[in-house]
Amino acid sequence: MESMDASRRNGSRDGASSVGRAVDQLGSSAQQVWISTRDAVGEIREAMDVQGRVDRHPYGMMLAAVGVGYVLGGGLFSRLTGRILGGGLRIALRLAAVPFIRNEFIGMMQGAGGAGDDYETDEGVGESGGKEEESASRSRKTKQTNPTTTKGK
Amino acid sequence: MEASTQNLENAARSLKERVGPQLAQARRRFTDANERVIDFIKERPGTCLLGALAVGWIIGRIARR
Repeated sequence: MESMDASRRNGSRDGASSVGRAVDQLGSSAQQVWISTRDAVGEIREAMDVQGRVDRHPYGMMLAAVGVGYVLGGGLFSRLTGRILGGGLRIALRLAAVPFIRNEFIGMMQGAGGAGDDYETDEGVGESGGKEEESASRSRKTKQTNPTTTKGK
Repeated sequence: MEASTQNLENAARSLKERVGPQLAQARRRFTDANERVIDFIKERPGTCLLGALAVGWIIGRIARR
């Protein structure tokens, strides 16, 4: 009877120690996983240089994060995106067209009577090169060859 | 003509004197606020980025509807 009790006690002690060992192993492996995860996150952070980027371009990074969130939220193929892109494209086209139209207009003015000689062009002040000179000489030639057209005006 | 020009000049000068300090103060305030915002972002980059991401996500969800 005593021997049975002793063996039972021994068995329970063995079971407890094995559970304890398993818990210890689990704890140590969890710690290793935690350390390796922390290292990996640190390496990724270093590689991405988030802090440095935020230091250099704080507003740009915020905007980029908002953009990423917008895309993740499913707003990419929405009507709002279409409107924003359409408006941006329209503004960009207008801005791109303004210098051409301006130069053409200045050329026309210069050709009309030399009144626009003092206009500033994109090529420089008083510079007569490129399109404006072409259009000016074209209109001068027209005046010389067909003076009646200018007289009427 | 000369008198009206003079009047106009005087009006412009008085307007500048009245509005100038207010404009300078507004500019100073704006600069201070900007610096404070930038400092906040630099101090807590992760939080700010996550917040911006969340804001963008919410806007995207709203726009998707």
